Amino acid sequence: MEQSVRRANFLVWAWTLFVLVVVYLPIACGALAGLSKSRYFGFPVAAWSTDWWTRAMASIEVKTIVETSLAVAGVVTLVSVVVAFFGALAFARYDWKGRRLYQKLVLLPIFFPQPVLGLALLLWFNAVGVQPSWTTAIFAHLVWIVPVVTLVIAIRVYGFDPALEEAAADLGASRLFILREVTLPILWPGVWSGALFAFLLSWGNFPLSLYTTGADSTVPEWLYAKMVAGYTPMVPAIGTMSTLAAASVLLVGGAIALLLRRRAALNAAPAEG
Amino acid sequence: MTATATALPAAPATPAPVPPAADAKPILQLVGVRKTFGSFAAVDGIDLDIREGEFLTLVGPSGSGKTTLLRMLAGMEAPSEGVLSLRGVRINDTPSSERPTCLVFQSLALFPHMTVGANIEFPLKAKGVAAGARKERALALLDLVRLPRSYYGKNVMQCSGGERQRVAIARALSHDPEILFFDEPLSALDYKLRKVMEKELKDLHRASGKTFVYITHSLEEAMVMSDRIGVMQAGRLVQVGAPEEIYSRPATRFVAEFMGEVNVIEARRAGGVWRAEGIGELKLIPPPELEGADAVAVVVRPEFLRFVDGDADNRLTGEVFNEYALGSRIQYQVRAGAKTYLLELSRAKAWRGEPGQAATIGWDARDAIVAPLA
Repeated sequence: MEQSVRRANFLVWAWTLFVLVVVYLPIACGALAGLSKSRYFGFPVAAWSTDWWTRAMASIEVKTIVETSLAVAGVVTLVSVVVAFFGALAFARYDWKGRRLYQKLVLLPIFFPQPVLGLALLLWFNAVGVQPSWTTAIFAHLVWIVPVVTLVIAIRVYGFDPALEEAAADLGASRLFILREVTLPILWPGVWSGALFAFLLSWGNFPLSLYTTGADSTVPEWLYAKMVAGYTPMVPAIGTMSTLAAASVLLVGGAIALLLRRRAALNAAPAEG
Repeated sequence: MTATATALPAAPATPAPVPPAADAKPILQLVGVRKTFGSFAAVDGIDLDIREGEFLTLVGPSGSGKTTLLRMLAGMEAPSEGVLSLRGVRINDTPSSERPTCLVFQSLALFPHMTVGANIEFPLKAKGVAAGARKERALALLDLVRLPRSYYGKNVMQCSGGERQRVAIARALSHDPEILFFDEPLSALDYKLRKVMEKELKDLHRASGKTFVYITHSLEEAMVMSDRIGVMQAGRLVQVGAPEEIYSRPATRFVAEFMGEVNVIEARRAGGVWRAEGIGELKLIPPPELEGADAVAVVVRPEFLRFVDGDADNRLTGEVFNEYALGSRIQYQVRAGAKTYLLELSRAKAWRGEPGQAATIGWDARDAIVAPLA
């Protein structure tokens, strides 16, 4: 009995380790490539250098693309969270005529192949005479990201008891007061995860940006272009930085959530009246 | 936490109950109120005067429309037909936020992200009352519902079922409504705690002087607390009256059967004589409104049925086949023909026979209730 438990534990650990290695080994290789002195990556690494990291940091070109990516992801996050919040209420909270159709239509863009969606949007921008730039990319990202964020927030909305809003109104609260004091605070965790999703999906998006940024360039686009022509270890260096940045966004998000929960628990501790 | 419920401080002195007089002005009046969902009428024409300061309980089986009726009174549903008026003013379309009423939900609907204090203060905060005054009021309400003041800062989700109940009631009271509605708020509690809360609600009603309208499917709960009881069946009110009246003079067979375990005997009149299947000739005293009827339901409560060896207006012979001890009382099941009768005696007067034995049982005409057959 004891032995079989130990064996099962061992197998679980071994499998977990195997999966982690399979997932992270390629990323680690990329990171190593960025730290190699030679122009082309070979294993084992002959000579180490942080040269490409410093060069990437100093490059004005890199600064521009990072700023573009940040601007696009920032605006996309803000707009998609606002739109998706109310979209999620319509999706999961209220019963209205045409809700079932809406629930299906809103998911459609997620299943549409992104390169085709990007090309279609580019053709459409041309048709209406809009010059593609990073601002049109925001629009393109929204088409795909708003449905995803709507779904993420809707999951939280499904767990929301509508009786709470009814009770609040019954206690004399106005709609705005209810939104501020009851609905939003309870849905906050959903809104937070929606915002994280929006940022990361926009930050890492390549197919939509490729067609719709015009002369501007985001980080994934730039990486792709450099891999096709003019490769230097700056490409894996920036790839690594991008990954680390995204990971820290997640970590900071997690830390904020933890802090909020800690504070709520502290508030809830029995206080003498 | 049952400990909190049982180890309560002494109940605050409450003034002697003043049952609202029958001619008291109605605070809430319903005239021909209906609510339909598609072709289904959940509430099917209700006329009712709710008197100021009374404890009115609406009882009925699930699906009888009592929750829908309560939601209309609270302003969460609009009546499809009829008039709802508060002190003579029509309020059919007044939203719940503008009615001087408050509903304690079956789920309680406490705000899970707030402390006990913040929950109780919610209606005050919505009105813009200053923080200091809010807290003072919340602490006073904690006293009133007999929760320790230290609960002010406690997370509401960490409270037990009975404690949450009290928080919900305190929150409703902090809104200071004229009428409080209760939608089966005790149904999730265990039996012992429910009994405690029933009595406390009754106390609270007296202490607050407000009008309470309560719904439940448990007639027992209704009998303990109410000044008046309304019995609902399929969207209609079949009888409204004092608990004693409902118990001793049920208007219909449905009401009688809803009151608890009863023996119902169908009687028909032929040639001026009442007869029942399996019994034969029957003595009964129909109420004036049933004088002309040719078929009635005779309702005999188990405690009015007895083993007879001497006189009884009505009697029948059957086989005693089951015996249940109910603590201070004992119930017997007696089979006669296709029918089973339930008979209840106090333990002191227990039957001396053995199950399986034949026995004659009977009742007197004045102890039976004669109700319409339908």
